[in-house]
Amino acid sequence: MKKIISLILLFIICLGIVFCLQDIPFGAAKTKVGHYYIDNGREETGATNIVTSVVLNYRGFDTLGEVTILFLAAIGLGAVLATLKKKGKRQIEPASLILKTGCRFLFPLILLFGAYIFIHGHLTPGGGFQGGAIIASAFLLVYLGCRERKINEVANKITESIAGLVFIVMGLIGLTVGGHYFLSNFMPKGEINTLFSSGIIPIIYIAIGFKVGSELTGIIDNLMEKS
Amino acid sequence: MVNPILLIVVPLGLAFALPIVNLISKKIIKYIPVLAFLFNLILSLLLIPKVLEQTIIVKIGGFHPPFGINLFVGPVGILFSTLIALAGFLVSIYALSYIKEGPKEKYHILYLLLLTGATGVVLTGDMFNLFVFFEILCISSYALVAYLGNKAGIESSIKYLIQGSVGSSLLLLGIGLLYGQLGTLNMADIANQINSISSPSIFVPMIFIITGLGIEAAIFPLNAWLPDAHSSAPSSISAILSGIAIEVGLYAVIRVIFTIFNASSFLMFFVFLGVLTLLIGEMSAFSQKNIKRMLAYSSIGQIGLIMFAISLNTQLGISAGFFQMISHTLGKGLLFLSVGFLIYKTGSMKISSFEGIGKKMPITSLLFTIGAFSIVGLPPFAGFASKFMIIKAALTTGQLLFTVLIGVILLGTVIEGAYFFKVIQSIYFKGTTDIIKRDEAPLIALISMSIFVLLIIFIGVYPDFIARILNSAASEFINRIDYIRSVLG
Repeated sequence: MKKIISLILLFIICLGIVFCLQDIPFGAAKTKVGHYYIDNGREETGATNIVTSVVLNYRGFDTLGEVTILFLAAIGLGAVLATLKKKGKRQIEPASLILKTGCRFLFPLILLFGAYIFIHGHLTPGGGFQGGAIIASAFLLVYLGCRERKINEVANKITESIAGLVFIVMGLIGLTVGGHYFLSNFMPKGEINTLFSSGIIPIIYIAIGFKVGSELTGIIDNLMEKS
Repeated sequence: MVNPILLIVVPLGLAFALPIVNLISKKIIKYIPVLAFLFNLILSLLLIPKVLEQTIIVKIGGFHPPFGINLFVGPVGILFSTLIALAGFLVSIYALSYIKEGPKEKYHILYLLLLTGATGVVLTGDMFNLFVFFEILCISSYALVAYLGNKAGIESSIKYLIQGSVGSSLLLLGIGLLYGQLGTLNMADIANQINSISSPSIFVPMIFIITGLGIEAAIFPLNAWLPDAHSSAPSSISAILSGIAIEVGLYAVIRVIFTIFNASSFLMFFVFLGVLTLLIGEMSAFSQKNIKRMLAYSSIGQIGLIMFAISLNTQLGISAGFFQMISHTLGKGLLFLSVGFLIYKTGSMKISSFEGIGKKMPITSLLFTIGAFSIVGLPPFAGFASKFMIIKAALTTGQLLFTVLIGVILLGTVIEGAYFFKVIQSIYFKGTTDIIKRDEAPLIALISMSIFVLLIIFIGVYPDFIARILNSAASEFINRIDYIRSVLG
């Protein structure tokens, strides 16, 4: 009986969504805000990557919120896991030589790739979130390959906090020094299509890269230890 | 110039900085939330006269709406941000002596972010930004409900997490459908472009958004998570969840109905839903043996009452609804805080275990009693003034239906009185008559709770003190054209 009711409810919801989607032409660029970003994004923000200009400039405040949500998820997980009792020391079986060597070899390369992704966030696809996730995957590899190693939790926390503060301080500088708007792009936009361009965007994206990387690493560390 | 954006950014920055401060000194972290919300309280109070003169539109990044995100700091926003800062400040003082166990550093971060999320929801003028802050509010509550780490806490946290996530998904889906059709996320711009809610392509997203927000607002039948979550959280968090979180959820619901969709035809449905929520909440509260569950169900009842008042859709009705929110935050906050130490000293949440505690903890019991009187609506406390205003608002509409419903609501209040007096009876008039050694709550907690009492009595005696801001807040909801104009220019 319950299943039938759930199915009927689901059907009604689907019907509603289908009705709505019929009114939205697929692929047609009719949104006015979207048009504005495409037409003016490059001049107004100096970023070649329009997605980045939307994520960090037009809607930078949302991104601050999203970074906070990730921070929150990491802290919340830590809080819940901290209350659980430790089950004694975990048995660590050392990894094979191949895995160990491969992990040692790949670790710096993955870090480099992650850094590339977030440093070039305003020029090429990708950005702080993606770069941070790649960096965290390097640390996951260390946990899988070189199992006796552990990250430095204090350094991780400090990185996380400082990166978050950089984002906020950049916003506040924009509020006080340049233009009286929070998160306004107060720095010179530079020459478009070069690394040093688009004002505060690269700085914030680097901060996000560090923050996301350290948060995800913290989550991995927490789960590995408590499992 | 004081900028309202600081109300969000400063607590957020302090939350980010807290792990570093924790490394420097573990003793000072508990003062950071106190500091943050003292700052917010002062800033909000400074902004009130300015906002009452003219609404402040904060353009973030300097982009004009609808291309950038803007904050809409109107009377409603500033009223809520003051309330959030006030409750946050007092509860964080209380927590100085209450939170002694567990990962304290994480508690304070989550607490800061919970209230930052709430402030963001009430101040933002952008639909997707509302969703982001709503998520901050919800995720920090999930974690805080499980903070004590006992089985009940984790179980109710997971229940809350599942239902909350379904709600958030519906909300996001609704926003997405709306964006697909209108091509904008700015609330004023959406409101400007919505002509009628009769067409299914607008009606469906509206239902999704209201259902999604309604889960956090604990509107019947979306409130199954609430009694568990509010009763198994630490008492300081229960006070915030009951006093702030669900009211912020309700704010979002009515903002969507009034300003964005202009769905006044929908309000009749909400009148009935409100009365139903009230009756079910009060009747369930009556049958509880666990004090915190009783208070949690009582919150559901109060939310029903607020919904009823606001759905009257008159100036007086909406003002009365906001007034009831204020008196509920103060009253229920006080109740949860005082109950926190009653439970701490007796070691049990059962109402029967409170017999005779009035002699052991006279001051805490007195504070509990005042909170209960205010929630029930006895003069001269704030609850009386707000309930009286609701009755007046319903009667001035002149419709027979509302007069009948007021009768039903008064019945709900009688039930409310019955269960609160049952508790008060067992506190004072049961148990041993021997003189017991006094064992009070810590002084700092008593001070924080006493400020709640002072505010309850002050507002109860001088309701005119907040009349102006309530009136402007009600006008903001009624005149949606002004809202659209002030944002889009």
